[in-house]
Amino acid sequence: MSDTMRARPARARGARLALALALALAGPVSRAATPGETIAGAARGVVKVYGAGGVRGLEAYQTGILVTPAGHVVTVLSTVLDSDTIDCVLDDGRRYPARLVGADPARELAVLAIEGEDLPALPLVADLPRVAPGTRVLALSNLFGVAVGDERVSAQHGVISAVVPLEARRGSYEAPYRGTVYLLDCTTNNPGSPGGALIDFRGRLVGVLGKELRASASGVWLNYALPIDEVAKAYDDIVAGRASAPVAGGGTRFDPALLGVLLVPDLLDRTPPFLEATRAGSAAAAAGLRADDLLVAVNGRTVPSRRAVEEALGALATGDPVRLTVVRGGAIVECDLGPRPAAGEAP
Amino acid sequence: MKGHWLALLALLLATVVRSATGQDPADAGSLALAEEEAFRAAAATVAPAVVRIEPGVATAAVGAGAEAAPATSFSTGVVVGAEGWIVTTAFAVPDDVAETVVRFPDGSRAVGRVVSRDEARSLVLLRVEALPAGCAPPTEWVRRADLAVGQWTIALGRGWDSATPGVAVGILSALDRSWGRSVQTDASVSPANYGGALVDIRGRMIGILAPLPADTAGMNSGTELYDAGIGFAVPYEDLVRVLPRLQAGETLRPGIIGIGYASRDAVNGPARVAVCRAGSPAAKAGIRAGDRIVSANGRAVTRVADLRHVVAPLYAGDRLELELERGTGDTATERIGASVELVARLPPWRRTVLGIVPTREAPPAAAAGAAEPAAAGIRVGWVWPDGPAAAAGVLPGDVVVAVRPAEAERAGERLALAAPAQLAGFVGGLEPGSSVILELKRDAAPVDVTVVTTVAQAGVPADVPVTESDPAAVRVVRLEAPELPEPVLAVVPDGAATEPLGALVWFDPPRGAVDAEGALRTWRTAAARHRVAVLVPGSSDPQRWGRADIGAVARALDSLRSRRAIDPSRVAVAGSGAGGQFAWLVAERLGPAVRGVALVGASLPRQATIEPAEPGRSRVVLFGGSATEPHLRDADRERLTAAGYPVGTLPGGEGGDAPAENLCAWVEALGVL
Repeated sequence: MSDTMRARPARARGARLALALALALAGPVSRAATPGETIAGAARGVVKVYGAGGVRGLEAYQTGILVTPAGHVVTVLSTVLDSDTIDCVLDDGRRYPARLVGADPARELAVLAIEGEDLPALPLVADLPRVAPGTRVLALSNLFGVAVGDERVSAQHGVISAVVPLEARRGSYEAPYRGTVYLLDCTTNNPGSPGGALIDFRGRLVGVLGKELRASASGVWLNYALPIDEVAKAYDDIVAGRASAPVAGGGTRFDPALLGVLLVPDLLDRTPPFLEATRAGSAAAAAGLRADDLLVAVNGRTVPSRRAVEEALGALATGDPVRLTVVRGGAIVECDLGPRPAAGEAP
Repeated sequence: MKGHWLALLALLLATVVRSATGQDPADAGSLALAEEEAFRAAAATVAPAVVRIEPGVATAAVGAGAEAAPATSFSTGVVVGAEGWIVTTAFAVPDDVAETVVRFPDGSRAVGRVVSRDEARSLVLLRVEALPAGCAPPTEWVRRADLAVGQWTIALGRGWDSATPGVAVGILSALDRSWGRSVQTDASVSPANYGGALVDIRGRMIGILAPLPADTAGMNSGTELYDAGIGFAVPYEDLVRVLPRLQAGETLRPGIIGIGYASRDAVNGPARVAVCRAGSPAAKAGIRAGDRIVSANGRAVTRVADLRHVVAPLYAGDRLELELERGTGDTATERIGASVELVARLPPWRRTVLGIVPTREAPPAAAAGAAEPAAAGIRVGWVWPDGPAAAAGVLPGDVVVAVRPAEAERAGERLALAAPAQLAGFVGGLEPGSSVILELKRDAAPVDVTVVTTVAQAGVPADVPVTESDPAAVRVVRLEAPELPEPVLAVVPDGAATEPLGALVWFDPPRGAVDAEGALRTWRTAAARHRVAVLVPGSSDPQRWGRADIGAVARALDSLRSRRAIDPSRVAVAGSGAGGQFAWLVAERLGPAVRGVALVGASLPRQATIEPAEPGRSRVVLFGGSATEPHLRDADRERLTAAGYPVGTLPGGEGGDAPAENLCAWVEALGVL
């Protein structure tokens, strides 16, 4: 059962609706796997990972995914792996010592290796298209460590809420990964769940559950997973022994003063980007920007804080046209500032 | 997209029927996938109406509270009219914000101006000059009557920066939540989708997601539940009904009747009126203390909650048709109709009094155990010097048998009296300056006197009568209770268990355990003269008064009540320095049971919440000693006076010591009616 199911992803690309209709109409002849069958098939490849921890409220356990029958386990890079002995426990109770193959600090992922016979696997299909909001998903993880010994990890269900760049923090630290994540509408990210598998209702591995984080903007806890293409990049680099490939998003900052835009001092964590002044003769002055304008977007991208302004400008290439959106006297005003100078260029 | 949900629904139905008829019991997988397509089709149907609300003006301060509560951030709104009308919540656009930035599905932005607010439902109506192409209000919505618990619900928001709205799926968990103002879903509702759309599986609007308070669970801000599987939505039908008023710029506020109930239980208590606020809609409609509400807008009422279900969804200006029963016991009851026009605000309530101080009253349980049944009427112990009763010639020893308004045509409102609380309720519902007739029995002869009510004064009158008693007949009692880690000491005059005592809780500045000898020296004379039990709790932490100490005081008072009869109208808390500030917090926690608070050499604590005074929820506040920061005390007096509390001065206590004689005399004076 699980073999045919795992073979399906490559064939199903781009034709999900047709498949759904076909499956539903075809009825008993070639019915879709029930959620129970889907979970049973995928959960065989999800392992319980035990390592260091147990002090200062840090857990000594998390979750991993066996992605090859040769024993490669994808999990998250965390303090759990700061141990001489890391164990992986399968859903049939087999326990194997694991070796740390390597890690991708930017994505906070790691690969472990175990040696055993007849290992199940939940394969990484790197070229799976990103799934859209509204897609039903199942999260398989050992959250709160409730599964022990030969018990299967816990299954939760929900939908993909949004596909967005991650802007999050852990305590007061920015999360290193600022690329795209799947936000979920169910409470999946809890102690023990990082490294768990996110599968769709066809049993395909579409993401890996991340570490516990809060949204930078609102402070709410996030439930999210890294999309499988990002996981595959990290996996390929780690197994090949390469430095990790850069993550899209986040990146460098660019000082808006180089355009003549002088913002109010950044006193709060998220000072709203009000203009204090423009430098005479600068692109900003020429574009008609004024003191007390509130900057709301850079080239369409929302900028709630001074930091966001610097990052949005940093994401542009030298020479790209800069368009600032400001609120002035109760109206939206668009200002074109011409090409962005190089970061080191004198104003 | 819009057309194919019908096909999907048919498909879904076919699948369900097949499963139900047993032809294909194992096809749960196909059903799951068909439902997934339906979720996405429903989201796509209403997506053109869902917009992002960006905090355009300075956001709420973040900092210490940021770890605990979500801060103001990107949120959601729904287009509700083609002329640029957008609804969002007060979470995205707090009270002090007049405009915000709206981002449309096509990525363009506009400034949204606040047109009006629905303060009863936390909604805000914005207007933008024009909607971009492709942005349109929802075309279909579901009536409340057609909603069913258990049906699929899809919550849409645009708090996250993405091209398509964020989606969360769940079921309808309950109807008529938030006292009839919302429906409940288990779809994930958080700051990102507050103001967003809750739709059914066909993409029809159910309501607007909103952070409504779950006050019965002790949660008042509405955002505490964001991760709890509990979300609320204001039914779209309710919004549609008031939309024209909101569009006209009218601010809608919760409606108030202006009555207080006899029961302290705000849910299960009987719907009997204890107090009818002077000048309130209820008073204007002729409702009186003692009336029982039996129906409201056609719905039968027995408990307070029944009435709340009817009133909470209404606005100020709405009309409430009540049916009342009047008359008690064997006398024939009459049924009266009252048409009440609700208001947004009542004028601040000030307690009105006659200046009569009744003799001590035993609590109901102790009275029931007494050999003689309680005599009819209220015996006057003494009269407040220079008060209205004194001016009218009321004398100590008179028994007030009944009270009625002075106007002849209102003679029917006559109230026969058995307990001081009845007279307090009657007088509390009158404006200061109203004339009432007290029917007295003086040496067995009936006498009627007319008394003009006045606003209650705070203070300690000069000539509070005292009981001549032996200061030696006072002892220190250790109040023990199973939950108390340390017994609380109390200085208690000897006497019969049925003799009603006043009760005062005194807090010294925190210093750990209390010295029993010292307490006895300080309090014995005053306690004996004024028949007051004085509790002197110690602080569990020698450095500060803490939360645990509040619980200890409550339990110690219960323990005292189990030993001696305590007059419920003469219970006060007081303290010096940090103990004075703590006394205020204890009074807040103990609520209406505490009738007075005295702060010696202290101003109100920073965390003090001053609820506007209401009948049954007012207390006398005295300040004594020398204030370390006089300007703070002046500000406190102003705040308290504005909220309707009687505020006065406690003589003595300059050195921070307890002015024992004045405090105990004041406890006796708290019984004034």
